[in-house]
Amino acid sequence: MSNPIRDGFRAGLAQGELLVQKCNDCGGLNMYPRHACPHCQSLSLGWQKASGRGILHSYTVLRQGAPQGFEGDLPYALGVVKLQEGVQLLGRLIPDPDGNWDSYKCDDTVEFTPVSAESIERRPCASFKRINP
Amino acid sequence: MADTWPLNVDAKSPNDPVFVGTGELPSGRYPDRNFIGDLTHVGLLALKDAQMVPRHVDTILLIPNLHSAVDQADLIFSRMAEELGLIGHLKSSFMVHSGGSTSDNAVRLASGLIASGHARTVLVLQCERWGSADLNEMVTMLSKYGIPNEWEMPTGLQFNAIGALITRRYMHATQSSPEAMASVCVTLRKWAQLNPNAMYYGKPLTVEKVLSSKMVAEPLHALECPMLADGAVAFVMTSAENAKKRGLETTVRVAGSGGCVSHYSIGQEPDLAKLGWATAAKRAYEQSGWGPKDAQIAQIYDTYAAVTAAAVEGLEFCEPGEGARWFQSGAADPGGTLPCNTNGGMLSAGHTGVGGGTALLVEGVRQLLWRAPSQRQVTGVQRCIVGGTGGSYMDAQVLLLERTSKGGK
Repeated sequence: MSNPIRDGFRAGLAQGELLVQKCNDCGGLNMYPRHACPHCQSLSLGWQKASGRGILHSYTVLRQGAPQGFEGDLPYALGVVKLQEGVQLLGRLIPDPDGNWDSYKCDDTVEFTPVSAESIERRPCASFKRINP
Repeated sequence: MADTWPLNVDAKSPNDPVFVGTGELPSGRYPDRNFIGDLTHVGLLALKDAQMVPRHVDTILLIPNLHSAVDQADLIFSRMAEELGLIGHLKSSFMVHSGGSTSDNAVRLASGLIASGHARTVLVLQCERWGSADLNEMVTMLSKYGIPNEWEMPTGLQFNAIGALITRRYMHATQSSPEAMASVCVTLRKWAQLNPNAMYYGKPLTVEKVLSSKMVAEPLHALECPMLADGAVAFVMTSAENAKKRGLETTVRVAGSGGCVSHYSIGQEPDLAKLGWATAAKRAYEQSGWGPKDAQIAQIYDTYAAVTAAAVEGLEFCEPGEGARWFQSGAADPGGTLPCNTNGGMLSAGHTGVGGGTALLVEGVRQLLWRAPSQRQVTGVQRCIVGGTGGSYMDAQVLLLERTSKGGK
């Protein structure tokens, strides 16, 4: 099914960019991308490359009970990130060098981290990594 | 948007919508029961409780199941007209859906139909067959419903992870200990020991046991996650005038309601430690003139401890940030200052999908009718606060219910 906003966002991820939808009329930022601007109802919508920096509002490490097709990914971490731009999204969290996520805490600063195009093809979602304060 | 929604009916209105009966089948794993059979039997139980027969019903509202897409899409509400012998008699039958908060919205809808005259007597039916379904299939199904397929499904999100995101933020924001979180589960289990219909009846629980169970979705342990169950509940609503005409002295009316849809996608919730509870509570209290001290019991959606802890804070049962510690103090226990989830809730009576909230609602009505089994009936209860939430905790819904007679049965 044709879905330009989904495809546009994913094309950005495949090129190593986190795109946030920007309204060409009111300049408002929308995340997740919308089919009409929720601020002014404009249908003229484009993209802005995000700074990539944000605050980790919350996160979890899933250790069991993955949905079908995700079993091989276990364990994996998910986090809600509030971007500097004032919008937010759910993404994956990149583990510490030891393969765990012990260094992560709520309200940590995290940064969008590009992953390979093959990885985006398989899991079209943003990944974030904790950055040392 | 309007800030207030004054009710058009009051306790003296002939068209004031009231509950007159409830029905319930035991929750748990019941492979020998079936969907249509349970819907039929539980409907008849509710009608019997209301001293009615199916011919007294003109409208059936069905609360959806989640165990089967086929059973969901099969227009079962009309099949119930056949099963109950109402062909040609029934005026209207349809399904209402807002996930776990469906029961709250079904009450609003039935109330509107009754108050406006579009319905006289409404039978609301629910049956879920999760407990007997294939667990892996259900986990996968629950990673598709209430989660945006373009934006969040690719992350591998599922329902325990959603509960965990709320729990982690709640614990961080309120500095609640793992013991305080586990104590919510223990309170619910204490109530379940008084409910033979509960999945975990006869299976006591301790904080130590909760915290030593395996980690499922950090920081949630296995025993902090709800168990999928079979179950069925039903209730009957009619007008105050019709109840009186039928000699039903004791009914339960809706003093007010409030709601707040705070997100659809879990990644869009502005504050995972709070959700929409404070706004929903404010709207409900304003509509009814009630405050948090005006009820003697509460029945609050409880798939995860943090959801319920956030709710009791939003409802102002305790100070902000104190929800989990309020449970830990024993306030919501049997014999506590504000008994909560007196059927054992979803974490201990069993998670019957969209029906989990319905079971809590029905327990509130049953308590207000003074028809709960004596071991858990709260003596003299006149008012109950009901809280529900659906999908990824996308909304907070509050119903304020009150018994219409002071004494007698």
